[in-house]
Amino acid sequence: MLAIEKKRLNELLRRMNRDFQVYVPYLENGTGKFAPYQEERELYLEMNTLLPPKDIFFPQTEKMYKFRAAGNELEIEEIAEQKEKQVVFGIRSCDAFSIDCLDKVFLSRGYEDAFYKNKRENTLLVGLACTAVGDTCFCQSMGLNPQEAVGVDLQVLDLGAEWGFKARTAAGQELLAKYGDVLHETGASPLPAEEFKLKVEVEGVPEKLSRMFDHPVWEEVSRKCLGCALCTYLCPTCHCFDVSGKVKGEEGYRFRCWDSCMFSEYTRMAGGHNPRPTKKERVRNRFMHKLSYFVERYGQLLCTGCGRCLAKCPVNMDITAVIRKIKEAEVE
Amino acid sequence: MNANPLVPIRGRIIKIVQETPDVKTFHVSTTGGEKPFAPKPGQLAMLSLPQAGEAMFSITSQGPNHLELAIKEVGQLTGALHQVEEGQECGIRGPYGNGFPLDYLKGKDLLFIGGGIGLAPVRSLINHCIENRAEFGKMYVVYGARSVADLVFKEDLFENWPKVENMEVYTTIDRPEEGWTGHVAFVPAYVEELGFKPMTTITCGPPIMIKFVLQALARMGFNDADVITTLEMRMKCGIGKCGRCNIGSLYVCLDGPVFTLEQLKKLPPEY
Repeated sequence: MLAIEKKRLNELLRRMNRDFQVYVPYLENGTGKFAPYQEERELYLEMNTLLPPKDIFFPQTEKMYKFRAAGNELEIEEIAEQKEKQVVFGIRSCDAFSIDCLDKVFLSRGYEDAFYKNKRENTLLVGLACTAVGDTCFCQSMGLNPQEAVGVDLQVLDLGAEWGFKARTAAGQELLAKYGDVLHETGASPLPAEEFKLKVEVEGVPEKLSRMFDHPVWEEVSRKCLGCALCTYLCPTCHCFDVSGKVKGEEGYRFRCWDSCMFSEYTRMAGGHNPRPTKKERVRNRFMHKLSYFVERYGQLLCTGCGRCLAKCPVNMDITAVIRKIKEAEVE
Repeated sequence: MNANPLVPIRGRIIKIVQETPDVKTFHVSTTGGEKPFAPKPGQLAMLSLPQAGEAMFSITSQGPNHLELAIKEVGQLTGALHQVEEGQECGIRGPYGNGFPLDYLKGKDLLFIGGGIGLAPVRSLINHCIENRAEFGKMYVVYGARSVADLVFKEDLFENWPKVENMEVYTTIDRPEEGWTGHVAFVPAYVEELGFKPMTTITCGPPIMIKFVLQALARMGFNDADVITTLEMRMKCGIGKCGRCNIGSLYVCLDGPVFTLEQLKKLPPEY
């Protein structure tokens, strides 16, 4: 396996950053997040970031087009960003699979989302195997391997004193060839991941849920939810967005921004009718979407077991506990 | 259509028809005077005044060079639309959604049931059937509104449609009114009173009307697979990405807005 001594990783990233815009994980005021590589900053590779890297492909706010409305005339000008080639370095298995979920949403089923596609097509993913497993991590229960990310071009493995590299695609192979001069061959083997402390059995849940729309469990599950939407903002797979505008005089622009199914306005129509009027319907829709609707539509779960929502929910809402409740629920 | 489905093309409102005190029909062309796109009956369009907003509307009819959207004044964007004059430029994108199942409807007798502004999407199909009259069987329209003033498309209801061969139009209002010699009843009751034999039915109206129409049709022995309705949901993208118009695993903007009652009964009742 090709490898680099851990203390020399910066040499590789520095080289890579000349050819690509490289995003790496940093700790910023105590919050782990992906940001453009800077030589002098210390990387955060101990645990996964609190903020998922989805904003690299699907920014929290994104301008779509500019307009000028004067009198009864209107001009529309698309904002087409030409994205440079980029690399996301250090993406964990849970977040790599979330990108696969986003690909299904934004690039399939009749329409391609041009804003997403532009960034996605120009990005290489470099996975980083987990050895430490957080208290709220449960990717393994969702069918993922913490050391083998789905859809990455290159997988980085922890060899103790070195980082090892395994190419997963032709593009990953090219990366290794391109920076081969800073890599060396090693016989060291990868450190295994720790045992998962949090486990949940998800088998059969999507099918069972399709018969549980009217089940009393939703009343119980939704009771403590505050509707703050933190779970959806930290979720690597949540992708709902709003479209809105900013106007200044005759000019303005339209943009999209992350939205949340936890908000009452989300489905409220101009005439006042709201198909999901209370948090019971909204909480139910969120869990149904993640664990059943998405499986029906795209053939995979919309939860990757990253554990961010349960780590940060102010009222300790825990999707694994909800899954257990569903498993135990009696259904006619 | 723009290569980027989320960015509208420029349109121009070439004609505005005041249908009722709070409904206007907007005729929209491109700024070059062409039809913005060619929708199937029952499909949708995203119309915008970018300074006020963007929303999804049913396309109620079309001509060779324009689309028609009948819009009730209920919110911010529709309020702004009701202020503009002919000649106003706008943004438009589409068409979205599945539209009515034309192949399935061919050769069949058709019952159209509408209430209030709910006649708007149904009218796109009625007009299509009239233009292709030979392809369809007998046509019946039952339509009602709160009052005479609230009846939309009066010219169609009282002038154009009754003249069409093998087509019967029944209009009703909710409460008696001076000068109105027509029928007075709620739409569901009128449908039952008219005693139709089971046939393929297309219905759209306020949720409460639809609920009672469906109950009436069930009593009259209509088949769920033959009862077709078109739904309304809040939408932002129109292309199945932004999330909010889902009913179960389906998106109304993409997989709808047209569903049979048989399909709806298999979905969560969340619309």
